[in-house]
Amino acid sequence: MNHDPFQWGKPLDSVYGPYNAKIAHATNKRTTNIKDVSDFPTMHTQQPMITGTSVISVRYQDGVVLAADNMGAYGSLMKLDDVERIVKVGKDTIVGISGDISDMQHLHRILDDLVVEDRYDMESDHLKANHVHEYLTRVLYNRRTKMDPLWNACIVAGFDEQGEVFLKYVDLLGVTYTSPALATGFGAHLAIPLLRKKADTDEDVKNLTKEDAVQLVKDCMKVLFYRDARSLDKYTLCVVEKSTKQIEIQKDVKCEDMKWGFAKDISGYGLPQL
Amino acid sequence: METLKNLWTSIGTGYDLSNSIFSPDGRNFQVEYASKAVENAGTSVGIRCKDGIVLATEKIITSKLLAPGKNKRIQTIDRHVGVVYSGLIPDGRHFVNRGRDEAKSFKSLYKEPIGVPGLIDRLGYYVQAYTCYNSVRPFGINAIIGGVDDDGAHLYMVEPSGTYWGYYGTATGKGRQTAKSELEKLDLPNITAKDAVKEAARIIYLAHEDNKDKDFELEVTWVSKSETGGVHEFVPHDLLQEAIKYAEEEGEEGESSDDEMQD
Amino acid sequence: MVSVPNCRDSNTPSFYALEAIKQGSAAVGITSKTHVVLVALKRNAEELGSYQKKIIKVDNHMGIALAGLAPDARVLSNFLRQQAMNSKMVFNRPLNLGKAVYSIADKAQDNTQSAGGRPYGVGLLVAGVDENGAHLFEFQPSGSVLEYVGAAIGARSQAARTYLERKYEDFADASKEQLIEDALTALRDTLSQDKELNAQNTTVAVVGKGENFTIYDDEDVQQWLDRLDTLSNNRNRNEPEDEEQEQEQDPEQPAEPAPEPSEQSDRMDTDE
Repeated sequence: MNHDPFQWGKPLDSVYGPYNAKIAHATNKRTTNIKDVSDFPTMHTQQPMITGTSVISVRYQDGVVLAADNMGAYGSLMKLDDVERIVKVGKDTIVGISGDISDMQHLHRILDDLVVEDRYDMESDHLKANHVHEYLTRVLYNRRTKMDPLWNACIVAGFDEQGEVFLKYVDLLGVTYTSPALATGFGAHLAIPLLRKKADTDEDVKNLTKEDAVQLVKDCMKVLFYRDARSLDKYTLCVVEKSTKQIEIQKDVKCEDMKWGFAKDISGYGLPQL
Repeated sequence: METLKNLWTSIGTGYDLSNSIFSPDGRNFQVEYASKAVENAGTSVGIRCKDGIVLATEKIITSKLLAPGKNKRIQTIDRHVGVVYSGLIPDGRHFVNRGRDEAKSFKSLYKEPIGVPGLIDRLGYYVQAYTCYNSVRPFGINAIIGGVDDDGAHLYMVEPSGTYWGYYGTATGKGRQTAKSELEKLDLPNITAKDAVKEAARIIYLAHEDNKDKDFELEVTWVSKSETGGVHEFVPHDLLQEAIKYAEEEGEEGESSDDEMQD
Repeated sequence: MVSVPNCRDSNTPSFYALEAIKQGSAAVGITSKTHVVLVALKRNAEELGSYQKKIIKVDNHMGIALAGLAPDARVLSNFLRQQAMNSKMVFNRPLNLGKAVYSIADKAQDNTQSAGGRPYGVGLLVAGVDENGAHLFEFQPSGSVLEYVGAAIGARSQAARTYLERKYEDFADASKEQLIEDALTALRDTLSQDKELNAQNTTVAVVGKGENFTIYDDEDVQQWLDRLDTLSNNRNRNEPEDEEQEQEQDPEQPAEPAPEPSEQSDRMDTDE
């Protein structure tokens, strides 16, 4: 028995070898000292920690509807229920971000700096949705090439410099694409098929009204809450509207008309077998 | 004026050639030269009103080929802080760029906008440093900095020496004496932002009398909790026109009352 | 010692970098609502030598004309090109003109406030279009930048400014062709009596909304010179007051008696 109280509860040196204090000082900065590098490989993000789940969006005849719930999940634990994952960037852009919440907060900061710089001349808002998207793409791709990605997938919506409606995806790899219906995370599997029923082609988009698009997205958020165990029934819903040149943001929207009667019959997945 | 006279007699003694050399009577002539750069520049005023700040400047039009309404002179440091300066314009831009860097670095550390007194403190240090070494010269500007933060509205003026004072209202440039005496007549702590805009315009027009042979453009910005949501902006076009109208009317009245007095 | 920009009075050291601009041959710029035109007078150091480039393209939407030390202008235009590329790379948008010109102005200001470097010895006219329309800026080594509707820099440029000041109210709605005519006329006013604009010594550049920055040199510039000749050949200098003004403005500039190119310059480091 080691009678030194400072050693109590620690791994035994005789079993594990002496504690190497350098581990605690492992850096994620590249050191010039080659020996250090070989001792302790540079550590980069290899998994997200607290995460936000899907962002879903769909074009309609006069703009875009975009939604993301307010949950921050730590594994399967609902750690946070008030995370705002849709951020307004300047006058003409909204960005919905899923994935790691701390990386999302980092993106919020750099996007805010971008807006402040854009407004330095106090003239007008030069920063349009397509510029924000391009900028985010460069940031995310740059980090990915350093093997140190920002663990996010984003959907950028808003207006471009011609005043046209803009909608485009970008993720942690720097991959970008656009489509009448876009979703990140679980939504890409669960919501996209539902969204495409109403908005598969540009022709469909022309026929989709705002009311129908909002209802469609609300339905998708409900399905996601039923099926995605990392989702919440409280979410933020945004409407980009070309005719009014406005971006409307509704917070604390709740999933409605849910039926949970079936839940009592669910078995398996860790629940007692019937 | 006394200082100026001393300045003239000291020219050529060698003490005026470099920063970091004090003259026998304990002065730094480079700093005094820098202040001289300000004395003949266009007039700028800053007003601290009830819930905000109004900045205004007399932009001297040196050529009719200049693009009208462009060449903005009042700048933004952060969303909530504005600057107007008289003196060497490129020096003013340097000063503002430093302010932006400070505001940005503060925000990246503390995730909230820099307080105005804290910003001024940092800028004061920076300007002072340019009086200390013979490898640099001081800033040739007087900068009036105003902003709104959690503690309310703040107005300061930084001088080439790095000195700064807080103000209810202040002015710099050629017409500063006229402007300051007009500012003193106002009830500045209780004036509304809109009224402050009008008064600022009137004062700039009045101060322009000292510089009458040259054309000028009026530029006015404001930061106010109630009017702009704490964001530094140019005043709206309509308000600017209203202020100019007010300034011109008041100017005429002033002239006519002068005439009466002469009669 | 640190050079002080801007003469505050006759006793302060004057800012000699500004003098370097006056040594360079003239350049003129004019802007309308939709187009910006740059024209410049090229010089060659000797008869068998080439003419010094006066207008440099920065990007499809912008370019510069220079007067003064050409190598300094190359450094600045290179920097502008980097800025333009960066804007395309990061935001997928053309570089904002104001941002561009202030980025070099701030570099120039640094050189005036701290020792260890000399100020740039070149003045620039920066022309281009961006989301806010057409712009013409004059850049000076002091770090001063101003936006103009018409501007002229370089030797005897006061004569050109005099012309521009008489006509500037027409520029806003002028066509591209009219702008070039006016710019060339203004440029011609900077010439001494015995010299003429020709295809060898004249450069014209135009940029407009949806129209890339295009430089016309040599045979390509003849079309614009032809227009000038159809206008009128009497130079504005036959009004006596102008001549006086010109003389007044440029007392050091000797009236060049002969158009021998060798006499024009022996300095490699200016844009002559």
